[in-house]
Amino acid sequence: MARRVLKPGQKRVSAGGVAADTVTVLWFVFALFPIVWMFLLSLKNDAQQTSTYFGFTPTWTNYLTVLGTKGEQLTSVDFKSAVLTSVLACAGATAVSLVVGIPAAYAAGRWKFRGSESLMFNMLSFRFAPELMVIVPLFVIYHYLHLFDTSVGLIRVLQLVTMPLVVWILRSYFQDLSPELEQAALLDGYTRVRAFFTVALPLVRPGIAAAALLAFIFAWNNYIFPLILTDSNATTVTVAVTKFLGGGGQAYYNLTAAAALLGVLPPLVLALCIQRYLVRGLSFGAVKS
Amino acid sequence: MASLTLDNVTKSYGRTRALSDVSLAVDDGEFFVILGPSGAGKTTTLKSVAGLEPIDAGTVHIGGTDMAGVEPYRRNVAMAFESYALYPQRTVYDNLASPLRSGRTGTYSKAQQDRRITEVTDTLGIGHLLQRFPRELSNGQRQRVALGRVLVRPAGAYLLDEPLSHLDAKLRAAMRAELKQLGAMSSTTTLYVTHDYQEALALGDRIAVLRAGRVVQVGTPERIWARPVDTFVARVLGQPEMLLLPATVDSGRIRTADGAFDAAAPDGLDRGDVVLGIRPRALTLGERETAVTVRGTVRLAERLGRVIELTVHSGDTDLVAVVASADAPAEGSDVTLSVRPDEVHVFVDDLRWGSVAGKEDRDA
Repeated sequence: MARRVLKPGQKRVSAGGVAADTVTVLWFVFALFPIVWMFLLSLKNDAQQTSTYFGFTPTWTNYLTVLGTKGEQLTSVDFKSAVLTSVLACAGATAVSLVVGIPAAYAAGRWKFRGSESLMFNMLSFRFAPELMVIVPLFVIYHYLHLFDTSVGLIRVLQLVTMPLVVWILRSYFQDLSPELEQAALLDGYTRVRAFFTVALPLVRPGIAAAALLAFIFAWNNYIFPLILTDSNATTVTVAVTKFLGGGGQAYYNLTAAAALLGVLPPLVLALCIQRYLVRGLSFGAVKS
Repeated sequence: MASLTLDNVTKSYGRTRALSDVSLAVDDGEFFVILGPSGAGKTTTLKSVAGLEPIDAGTVHIGGTDMAGVEPYRRNVAMAFESYALYPQRTVYDNLASPLRSGRTGTYSKAQQDRRITEVTDTLGIGHLLQRFPRELSNGQRQRVALGRVLVRPAGAYLLDEPLSHLDAKLRAAMRAELKQLGAMSSTTTLYVTHDYQEALALGDRIAVLRAGRVVQVGTPERIWARPVDTFVARVLGQPEMLLLPATVDSGRIRTADGAFDAAAPDGLDRGDVVLGIRPRALTLGERETAVTVRGTVRLAERLGRVIELTVHSGDTDLVAVVASADAPAEGSDVTLSVRPDEVHVFVDDLRWGSVAGKEDRDA
C-alpha cells in the first residue's frame, strides 16, 4: 500500500494515535474536574454556594475574606498567619531533615552492619504506622515539654514525616553512586569528609532537590499533627482550611474552597522553581550510564 | 618510591574467600604484574594495598612501614580503577588536577599543575580532551584519563587495575609498548593487574599468577613461560592454550592411551599417570633427529597471517600446532609433527615434574 507523502510539518494521523489522545483528554478532564469544581465554588457567594452548579454570579470576595482584608470577619481564623506558620514549619522541618538525613542516608547507603536493614525498615515504619497511634502520648509529652502550640514543636514532630522520606530517597541515590568515586578521591589525598563533600554530595544534588520537595509537600499536607499538637498560635494551613467549615455553626464551603486553593499555591510554586532539578532527580538512576 | 610487601593477606566477603594467604614482595621500582582470570582476587589485592578494603588477616607494608590502620589518603599510592572512577561533574583537566590539589602529594602552583598535566596528556594522547566531561569520552579515552590521573602525581607506588582493557587492539599494543617507557612508570614501583597474558609477559619484571585467591607462581616472565608450576599456569599463558594430554608411564615408555604419542620415559619417572603439556608453537612440521614425533591428519588449517593454525587429528585427540604459513600442508593431508623433548612438559598430580628430557629442580 502506497503511503501518502506528507508535507513538511504535517503529521500522519493514525487511529491508534487519535484513540490515545482522546483517552489522555478524558483523563485530564477526570483528573482536573475537582479542581475546576473547587475553583467555581470559591467564586460563589454564601447564598448560592449550595444551590447552583454553574449558574451564579462570580465574586472574589471569598478570597478577600479568607485573607482577612475585608472588614467583616466571619470566622476567628487567621489564615495569613497559618500560611506563615506552615511555610516556616515545613521549611524548617525539611531543612532539619536534610541536615541530619543526608549524612544518615550516606552512612546507610555505604556501610552495611548487623541490623542496618532493620534499622532502615524501622525508620520507614514511622511512615506507614498510623499517626493516630502516637498522637495521644505525643500530646501528653508536648504539654509536659512546653512544645504544645509552638513552631519548634511542629518542626520536631514533622520529622516523623520528612526524615524517613529524605533518608530513604537519598540512600538509594548514594547507593547508585559507585563507591570507587570516593575511593579515587581518598587515593588522590582527600580525607573521607572531603571526599564526601567534594565528590559524593554534588552528584546527588538532583536527589536532594527531589527529596526536599517531597518532604516539604508531605509536611505541608500533614493534618493530624498540627490539629492535635497546636492551637491558635501555631496552627497550619491544613487545619485553618477546615475551620471555615465552621464547627457547628454555618459551613462556608465557598470560603473553604478559596482557602484550599490558596493553600495549594506555595508547594506548587516551589515545585515549579525546582522543576529543572526534579525531572533529572526523579529519573536519576533509571538509565545506567 | 617504595617497596611493597604483603604477608599472608586473607580477606573474605561474607562466606566467600577472596584472598587466602597472599604473600608478595615487590621491590622498589619494580614493575610487578598480577595475572589471573576474573574472580581470582586481583582487584581485591590492589585494594588491600591501597587500604580501600580492610583485610581480615596478614599485613601490608609499604616502604617498610606497616599499613595496619593507616587511612588510604596517608598511604601515598595512586590507583587506576578498572571502572575508571572519573569524577563525572568535573572536566578532564579537573580530574587530572584533583590529586595535585589535595595537598598530600606535594604543593603545586597553577603553572606546575599545568606543566604536569600537559606532560601526561601529551604522552597519553588526550591533550585535546582537557575541557571535556567524562561522559563525552569514549571508553578508551576515559581509561587513558584514569591512567593519567595516576601518572600525573608522584607516589610511593602505582596500582593499575586492567588499565588497558578497554582500548581497541591496536591502541592497546601501542600503549603497552609505551607504558614501560614512561618516565614516571619506569622509576615508580608498579603493581599491575591484568588477565591478558601477553600484557603480563611484555610488561612485567616479575609476574604473580593468582588463582581463586591464592598465589600459584611468582617469577620472571621467561621462567613462568618456560616452567609453569602447574597445569593452571600452563593454560593461563599462551593462545592457543597449551595442549594437555593424559598419558601413562609403563616399562620405560611414556604414551597416551590412543598411542599417538609414544616416547622414551625420562629417568626417575616410573609412576603411573602423568599429563603431558605441549605448546602449539613448539610443534614443528616434519621429522627431526632427537625430537619426539606425532603423526596425524590435518583436519583444519586456519590462516592467521604469517602463521597458520593446524588442527591435527592423531589417534583420538586433536592437536593444535602453529606453524609458519609458508610450509603449510593442505587440509586432509597426513603430516608428521615433531617437538623437542625438553618442550614436552610433564605434570605429575597436576604439578610440574619436568619435561620428557628429564626431571628439573624446582629452584634451578
